[in-house]
Order: sequence, then structure tokens, then C-alpha cells
Amino acid sequence: MAQTDILLKVDNISKKVRKHEIVAPFSYELESGKILALCGGNGAGKSTLIRMITGLIKPTTGTVSINGYDQRKHWQQFKSSYGYMPDDFNFQRSISARETISFYAKLKKIEERRVQEVIESVGLTEVMHKKMGAFSKGMKQRLLLAQAMLAKPELLILDEPTNGLDPYWIQQFSELMVKAREQGQTVIFSTHDLHVAEQIADEVVFLNAGKVISNGSMENYRDVGLHETFKRLFISA
Amino acid sequence: MLTVFQRELKLGFRNSWTYSFLILFSIFTGAILLLHSSVSSIEGYTNMTGTLMNMTLYLLPLITLLLGSFSITAEKEDGHWGLLATYPLSSVSFFFGKWLGLAIILTTIIFFSFGISGILISIGGQAINTETFIFFLVFSVLLALTYLSIAFLIGALSKNRWQALIGAIAVWFITIVIWPLLMISLLTQLPSYKLVQPTLQVLTILNPAEFIRVFSMMRLGAGSAFGADYDALITWALSNNGLIIFIIMLIIYVFVTLFISSWIWNRGDKYGAD
Repeated sequence: MAQTDILLKVDNISKKVRKHEIVAPFSYELESGKILALCGGNGAGKSTLIRMITGLIKPTTGTVSINGYDQRKHWQQFKSSYGYMPDDFNFQRSISARETISFYAKLKKIEERRVQEVIESVGLTEVMHKKMGAFSKGMKQRLLLAQAMLAKPELLILDEPTNGLDPYWIQQFSELMVKAREQGQTVIFSTHDLHVAEQIADEVVFLNAGKVISNGSMENYRDVGLHETFKRLFISA
Repeated sequence: MLTVFQRELKLGFRNSWTYSFLILFSIFTGAILLLHSSVSSIEGYTNMTGTLMNMTLYLLPLITLLLGSFSITAEKEDGHWGLLATYPLSSVSFFFGKWLGLAIILTTIIFFSFGISGILISIGGQAINTETFIFFLVFSVLLALTYLSIAFLIGALSKNRWQALIGAIAVWFITIVIWPLLMISLLTQLPSYKLVQPTLQVLTILNPAEFIRVFSMMRLGAGSAFGADYDALITWALSNNGLIIFIIMLIIYVFVTLFISSWIWNRGDKYGAD
């Protein structure tokens, strides 16, 4: 498959459940090495959109491809192109953080050295032998992020990655994403935290009730700021 | 599959449910063997053996159905499968890996319970009929492995643990508690006596608990316990091909059910037809 500058191509995907439109037709092209923030309130359709992009939910219409690999036609290659961090996830309480990441590493045939590396990158080295039952929400989020970064995928798809993180780790998350971009990785993340989006995103999509109400380069929003834009968009919506 | 199997073993042996079932089953097995050893002067199959077999039939499938179906629905409810579906892992490998892990855990529970009960009875000076001991052990393992696959099917069909609980109890109630009544009701409705034998054989094959029970008892030479008529109708178990039929049927129960479960698990609102 030929490498193109467009890493992610979303073409007219939508989701309807019993005639009720959850996500309106959505198209987007994301270049390699960019960070895209999906912003919106609760129930805006961010997680549904993310799950449709990952293939965990079948879109009612449209297609998604990563690096030319079509979601339907090349499912195996498609899913090996990204790392995914889900929003609703409960770890097995009786196994340690190290055992958890090792399990995912074995599935992708990744060396143990890399396991150590990602655990270090999310600052969990000291507690990696503790059982997951003893982990706080923020620590679990960091481990989920480590799991997504494990295979150094071309695309990171992160659903609400900053939920439950303290201010220090929100900053660390931002730095990790910037570093990922520098290394050529592409990132899509959904968030309520407009400050984080403002700090690291190259492109922004605002969603409300399943519809895109605004999108574009971060530079277009820089003057007004995302908070003010959000306020204006939602008052008008 | 091996990675999923190893994880399942690790999780299973660290799960408090496993030890609760182990204690319950050990007490239960100890009581069964103790009761049986009190009439051990009679070799082979006795009325007591039949009663104790029925008692095993009540507890073991229920434990297996709950353990297996909850293990599957937990993967769904906790979001594990949602994440694993993005990994290079097919649902068939996932199901077989989990089944193998839980099968080892259940077999360990059964062997431990029988072992500890046997030791305690021996220390107490009571005689154990080896034939009966091995019979119960094999019977219990086969019953557990077959019901484990059914539990996976229930888990795959259920959205959450509550649905799995209802499904598990329904299957247990139909195949264990009211099966004889259902069978008699159906047989009495048949228009011709000629239909009784094939219907009875089909019905016996349809219910894994009944199938394993009938085969085990027939092979133990206790077919007369079913009554002369029934004994004459279930002739396949004692035929030359009886053991082969039995093994093929168990393989079908276990593997076909697992394949169906993984197919059900994989269908629905996502990609991932690996």
C-alpha cells in the first residue's frame, strides 16, 4: 500500500440507531504527524465517532482508511495501524500493571524492553508490580495510555485521555503527545479539556448533538481561544 | 490463544470465586464420598451411587454455568473485548484460550476436591470404592467441560452479568431440574410407539447432562436403574461404537458450541470478522 501524506481518511461516516441519528455524515482527512482534537459536551457524539473510526462500531454509511488500508477490506492491517485508548474500561483488579501491559505486548509480539519503556514514560515504574485494584483513576488512565503507545503505532486514537488526570499529569500527557508528533505519529483525541486541546492540537473539530458545528486549523481559533469559541458555538447551536 | 489462556489461568487462580467454589465443592464431594463409603460393601453401581450422581448433577453444572458465563460477560462489561478487538486476536482464539484456562481451573477444583475428600475418608478409616471414585471423578470432569462451553454460549448471548445469571439458571433448570418431566410429557404426546425410541435418543443427545449420565451409567452396567423399557431403548451406549459415539458427541458439544459462541460474539455492530 502506497504511503501518502494523508494518514487518516474518513469519508462520509454516520451512525443511525433505529432512525435516530447519533452522528451525522462526517468526512475528514488528517495528515501524518498532526494532532486532531475532537471537542464537545457530553453526548456530542465524540466517543461514537472515535469508535466508528477504530471499527469497534460499524458506521451506518461511509468508509474509514488509515494509510490507505480500508477498515472493511483490510481489517487486520487497518487495526495494526493504530493504538487505541478507550474511555470506559475496567482493568482486571487481581493482576499488576506490569502483567497487564505484558499481556497486551505479547498479543502484539512486542519485546519486554518496550513494556518497561512505556511504563516509564507514564511514570508508573515504581508501582508497576502493584495490583490494578490499588490504582487510582488517574494511574489507570496513564496505564491505558501506555497500552495505546506500546506498539509505536502510526496513529494514536485516544478517547478522553485526560479524564481523571491531575494537573501535573495533564501537562505530562501534553508533552508525551507533542513528543509523539515529533516522532511522526499522528494523534486523534476527544476531550472536554479545551486548555489541553489549545496547547497541543493542530486541528480542532467541534461536535454538538452528533453534528460538526465547526472545524479547522487551531490557528483559526487562536485569536478568540477555544473556550470563547465553544461558548459562542453552543449559544448559537 | 496461548497468551489468553495464560492470562485466564492467572486471573482464575487469583479470583476469590474460584476458592469459594473450591471450598463448596470440596465439602460437597467429601459428603458424597463419605455417604457412599458407608455402603461400600456393595461394589459398583448402587442406589446410593445414583442419588449421589444426581446430587453432583445439581451442583457442578450450576457452578460451571455461573463461572463461565460471568467470565465472558465481564469481558464485555469491563470493556476488555472492546480493546482486545483492536488487537491481532480473533474471537475464536480468544474463546478457545479462555475456555482452556477455565477448563484447567475447573478440573483443578474437581481433582483437588476429590483428592482432599479421598484423603480425609482414608484417614477416617473408611474404605473407598476405587471404581466409584474414578467414576465420579471422570463424570464430574466431563460434565464441567461440557457445561463450560454452554456457559460461554450464554455469556456470548448476554449483554451483562444479570442476563447471564438468568440464562445460566434457565439452562440449569431445564437441563437438570425439569428435564425428566419434559421428556415424559413429550413422549406421551407421540402418536406412535415406534417414535419413542428415536425421540428418546434424540432427546438424550440434546441434553448434555442426560447424555453423560446415561452413557456413564450404561457403561457401569447400571442401565436397569432406568427401568427395563428405557434400558432397551438406549442401546447405543453399549454397542461397539458406543464409546466413539460418546466421544464424538462430547467434541461436538464442546467445540461446536464454542465456535457458535465466538461467532455470536463477533457479529453485531462492529468490524472484526477475522
